[in-house]
Amino acid sequence: MNYPLWVVPYLGGPWVIGIVAIIHMFISHFAVGGGMFLAVAEEMAYRRKDERIYDFLKMHSRFFVIITTVAGAVTGVGIWFSIALVSPDGIASLIQTFSLAWAEEYLFFVAELATAFAYYYTWDKISREAHLKLARYYMVFSIMTLVIINGILTFMLTPGRWLQTHNWIDGVFNPTYWPSLIIRLLIMCAIAGMYALVTSSRIKDPHFRTAMVRYSATWLLPVFLIGPLVTFWFLHQIPQAALHNIFTGIQTSGVGNFSILARALYCSLLLSGTIILFAFFGPYLNPRGFSFRIALLFMVVGFTATGTTEWMRELLRKPFVVYNYMYSNGIRKTDIKEITDTGFLNKGKWAKTLAAATNDECKKGEVVFRYQCMSCHTINGYRSMKNLLGDRNEESLVGFLNMLKETDKEKNPYSGIMPPLAANQDEVKLLAKYLATINEKERQSNQAVGDRGGKGTM
Amino acid sequence: MVGDTQKHKSGGLMGFLEERLSLTELRHLAEKKKVPVHSQSVWYYLGGIAAILFMIMVSSGVLLMVYYVPEIQAAHASILKINSGVDFGWFFRSMHSWGANILIMVVMAHLFSTFFMKAYRGPRELTWLTGLVLMVVCLAFGFTGYLLPWDTVSFFATKIGIEVAEKTPLIGPIVAHLLRGGDAIGQSTISRFFVIHVALLPICLLALGGLHVFFVQVHGISEPSKFKLQDEAKKMYEKFFPDFFFKDILVWILAVNVLFVLVTLMPWGIGPEADPFAAAPAGIKPEWYFLAPFQFLKLVPPMVGPIEGELFGMGLLGLVGLGFVLVPFFDTGKSKTRSMIATIFGVAVLLGLIGFSVWGALS
Repeated sequence: MNYPLWVVPYLGGPWVIGIVAIIHMFISHFAVGGGMFLAVAEEMAYRRKDERIYDFLKMHSRFFVIITTVAGAVTGVGIWFSIALVSPDGIASLIQTFSLAWAEEYLFFVAELATAFAYYYTWDKISREAHLKLARYYMVFSIMTLVIINGILTFMLTPGRWLQTHNWIDGVFNPTYWPSLIIRLLIMCAIAGMYALVTSSRIKDPHFRTAMVRYSATWLLPVFLIGPLVTFWFLHQIPQAALHNIFTGIQTSGVGNFSILARALYCSLLLSGTIILFAFFGPYLNPRGFSFRIALLFMVVGFTATGTTEWMRELLRKPFVVYNYMYSNGIRKTDIKEITDTGFLNKGKWAKTLAAATNDECKKGEVVFRYQCMSCHTINGYRSMKNLLGDRNEESLVGFLNMLKETDKEKNPYSGIMPPLAANQDEVKLLAKYLATINEKERQSNQAVGDRGGKGTM
Repeated sequence: MVGDTQKHKSGGLMGFLEERLSLTELRHLAEKKKVPVHSQSVWYYLGGIAAILFMIMVSSGVLLMVYYVPEIQAAHASILKINSGVDFGWFFRSMHSWGANILIMVVMAHLFSTFFMKAYRGPRELTWLTGLVLMVVCLAFGFTGYLLPWDTVSFFATKIGIEVAEKTPLIGPIVAHLLRGGDAIGQSTISRFFVIHVALLPICLLALGGLHVFFVQVHGISEPSKFKLQDEAKKMYEKFFPDFFFKDILVWILAVNVLFVLVTLMPWGIGPEADPFAAAPAGIKPEWYFLAPFQFLKLVPPMVGPIEGELFGMGLLGLVGLGFVLVPFFDTGKSKTRSMIATIFGVAVLLGLIGFSVWGALS
């Protein structure tokens, strides 16, 4: 409410962040996992004095460096850009808390980039021992970026002791920090293995190709052997209300109410299962037949699995951006009561100015909509208001919105899934007036059908 | 005696199975089968995808039958119960509905790919003809299964579909009467559609599918003309087992994966219960796979010369079908002109199918 907001029609702002973030997540996981793969495989080449592995790593590292430095950096900036426009209050709060952490992450990122370039451009120019050292440095720097950013990402779901102390160290080392760090490292190894499968499938010597395809496939094993245990640990640490949301979603999957989190979970599990089967029947049982095209398809499955798992993780903390502290629309949990009593449109620098600039009640209602609803809903696209409003008129909308103000689950079934509406009675009416303009056409056409039906039965 | 003892000693479980099932012989047979490797090899996977989807349809269909009630007052409620009252009922129902749509899409793609690769030519005419009938059986599955949930859209779409079929000269009225079990859609229709869907069509499909696969085994996998004309030394083949088979498994996993993602992210819903006495809602359309003929028939004028428009339109559609039946005997590979005519015919039908379907969906 303190900053201007970006209105993204149909798709919605959060999906802009989501799409950019999922691509970035995949590339950054690939950068860290690939760093481990390069270091371990180069160590193997060094010990065995195997020129074929060295040749393979040269080929492997070319595309690796291009994709991780260029695409990784572009999408990384893309996340900052989109998040600042779509969820400015949320990101402002995170920056205020984690300035030092982000500064450290940036330093490691610069070191990671520098070693990546040095690694690629010094092939055959420095001694093999020195080159192996560079690979190890790259691995350490890239892991360090994860060590820091993992703290901020997990903080949003489980802020832990930070809620009392407001000390950023408590925020970083929160209850899900360790399980998340381990599971991300395992996923990173798997993604590195998948990429290595793509490059291995292009090796010309059939015997060496078979060996490298099999070796690359083993990088997928740890996540499937250790992953389930760490996931169990992770789920044990998350807020019980979030777990409850999963079970409610499973029970109501067929009806479709509140089940999106459960569906993301199903998707994540199914795709992970696919990866196990694929890895077994493909590179393990039939390494000779594991072609470049199949390897690319495998990457697509891996990308989709990572995407849905990240999506599920994001959904777990709904309706908060920082669990139990700040709602996804940027309003702090502790401010709800005050706003409900004294009003929303006289709070926040930007919302207040926008509301004061017009006398049109609908436009004032739209300001409330933009700042309180649009972080999850669009007018006629994703989570479309047009669909969700049905044919409710202004009067029934006032009743519905008053229900959304309740924080008690008995009185408001959406509590725990949506942020409570923070508005006084006048603002509820303004919002209802605006919402009634969204479904006006639907109301009129339903009315017409009703009239026709009535005449028909006469 | 000595031989027997040695056999038992040699294998344990594998030896036991070997003795009874001749696994080595089966393996040799599978290894002997060759799959040509060329730029269009990707189309060879479609038959396998159709087979795996059919298995999914059977297993999910059997589970649905546990709760589905083919009775006019209870059909809709039983689907609602499956969707919301039975644990993971929604999952298997969505799998059945999405699977059916994907299966028809895959079978269509398989049909057109074999058509354009000229795989219908001798000695594979019977493989082609059984494939064509299988396509019709799949469409019949779709048509009969669509009515079973007994919601408004399925009821009226079926009503219109039967009315169109009724226009077929001579047999039309008899077929329509048999399908409906009377003059109007009611309990008899739902009973008949249910029996056709869960008993008659599966038997037809198993028998025809078996024949189809048998013909593929007898004649081997067809090779496109360009590949055939290459030097023997340049031709590349891979063993069906294990090379192609393991890749086939990967493609099955991916296909099933696509199905699961659709099922979980977009579970199949159900509309309001059908009211046979209500007026048909505006804009009722059949399922996408019947949209092209539906849209085509809508465009035919009421009278074409002395012939009734719909009858004329159906005659034209019948001729297209006849073209597909006769193509192996018309284009035997001996005449370039005939081969070209067959290709043009296929392209025209494919474009017509896509064009009319899109038009029908948008209008």
